[in-house]
Amino acid sequence: MEFIIDAAVKEAYEAKGIKDEDIKAVVEGAGKDRIYNGSEFIAKKEIGDMTVYARYKMEGDKATILSAYKHKMKILDIVLVGDDTEWKYCANGAVVKAGHTNLTYLGATRSGPSLVEPESGQSWFEEYLANGALATAEVLFQQKRA
Amino acid sequence: MGYEELFPTNDLKGWHANAAKRFASPFVDNFHDRIDVDPIILSNAAVHCGFTIRDFYEKPELGIHTVGYISELFDLLPVTHWFFSLPWIRDLGVTLEYKDTLPPVSTGPIISEPEEVEKLEPISKEKLKGGNTDTLFHNLYGYVQQNLPHTLVPISYGFDLAGAGSELCGVENFIMWTFTEPDIAHKLQNVYVETSINGADLLSDTYGMAMLIVGSVLANNDIFSDEMVEEFSAKLMHHYVDQCFRKGAGPQIFYHLCGNHETDYKVFKKNLVWSPFNVLHIGYMGQKEFPTEILKEEFQDVTTIMGSVDTKLMIQANPKKVYDRAKETLLAGRDAKKGYILGTSCETPPYTIPGQLLALTRAARDFGTYGTW
Repeated sequence: MEFIIDAAVKEAYEAKGIKDEDIKAVVEGAGKDRIYNGSEFIAKKEIGDMTVYARYKMEGDKATILSAYKHKMKILDIVLVGDDTEWKYCANGAVVKAGHTNLTYLGATRSGPSLVEPESGQSWFEEYLANGALATAEVLFQQKRA
Repeated sequence: MGYEELFPTNDLKGWHANAAKRFASPFVDNFHDRIDVDPIILSNAAVHCGFTIRDFYEKPELGIHTVGYISELFDLLPVTHWFFSLPWIRDLGVTLEYKDTLPPVSTGPIISEPEEVEKLEPISKEKLKGGNTDTLFHNLYGYVQQNLPHTLVPISYGFDLAGAGSELCGVENFIMWTFTEPDIAHKLQNVYVETSINGADLLSDTYGMAMLIVGSVLANNDIFSDEMVEEFSAKLMHHYVDQCFRKGAGPQIFYHLCGNHETDYKVFKKNLVWSPFNVLHIGYMGQKEFPTEILKEEFQDVTTIMGSVDTKLMIQANPKKVYDRAKETLLAGRDAKKGYILGTSCETPPYTIPGQLLALTRAARDFGTYGTW
């Protein structure tokens, strides 16, 4: 698989501690375990203590990486299922829904807004949330549990 | 002389250090001594310090300092807050006036006919910058950063999205339009909500993780059906928080459902955004405090919950009643999965009796100490 990665995209994910090999592992290892909206895909993979996500487009064997992000909070079960979204799950073709999913970090379990596919039990967190609310939450957990 | 010269510094190593550990408890499952108490103390703090209700609102820096100072007396939260229910409304053209016994109130609506709503537009982030509300909160949090930094939690809020928006046309017109001209009512709400989102974006540029306070006050079962509360409030609250998160605010949220939410509470669980750090507070079911048992059963999977002692009890000369009611709600809620806070059913009244606040704290110590149940 050939990867096309813009310098600005690479700089942004490297600043978050994500490496090139992490991106490749996410995309190449995804198979049908990914969601799509039009021509855009999101795949995720647990790597070490992080869940790493790649947003990308595929053209033949070429993967153009749009962005990558991560969170340290570990994904648990779906707690609420809401309305349909524009996303579909490649593994079963099901429409992905807006929902809430439990996350655990440093011994505490809390929920956050997510994309969910109830049949498979899979959840994904969007980039704005991972980079914003979840990243802030992780810092607060680290401070408050210290 | 600055307001900071009027107050001794908090006991930072003793009271504040301990209260800060307690404050974090319900959110991170790192339980410290006892359940926290939050009577939503606002102008009552100023009254306790010898100032007036008007002073509290007219002099925000003084007001917030009284909150920080007096919280130590009753062993309340280690953080400061100062707010009233009509943020961003002046930026949209409404004039507010200060009162001796009330928070600032509108001098009157700026529109009266449905056709006029079409001409209203949300105020952009650029135009909000340096305006009334932006200046107020930057001055306020600048003061706290300088003089009470240990208590700083910047708050960016839209508060009562349905109610504040209705001030543009008058509450009576708004309620009528929700029935007769729902598209106009939605358009009006949109103007207020999008302005508030732009305001949250503006404040998050300075403070990053600003806490959000959002509520459903006008939209309650005394006025609206469950379906209308969902349409004109819960969905709006979702939109507000979702957009604020996308612009960098949060992740702390305080959801305040004031008034009678007898049956409409059911529409909020599926509609609201639940972040890792949120508190849900519901004031009343009918005429009585919202039952903590229902609050826990319905919402403990997604949020920290805050139980209520009726604010009426806070001004009756009977601290034992407060203590007994606090005991009831503590016993019902203290083992909630994602934490519990003891509160009052709304802002504790300005002339709350000190003995009633002590009764809350005593009850929290007696029935809310971790490890005793």
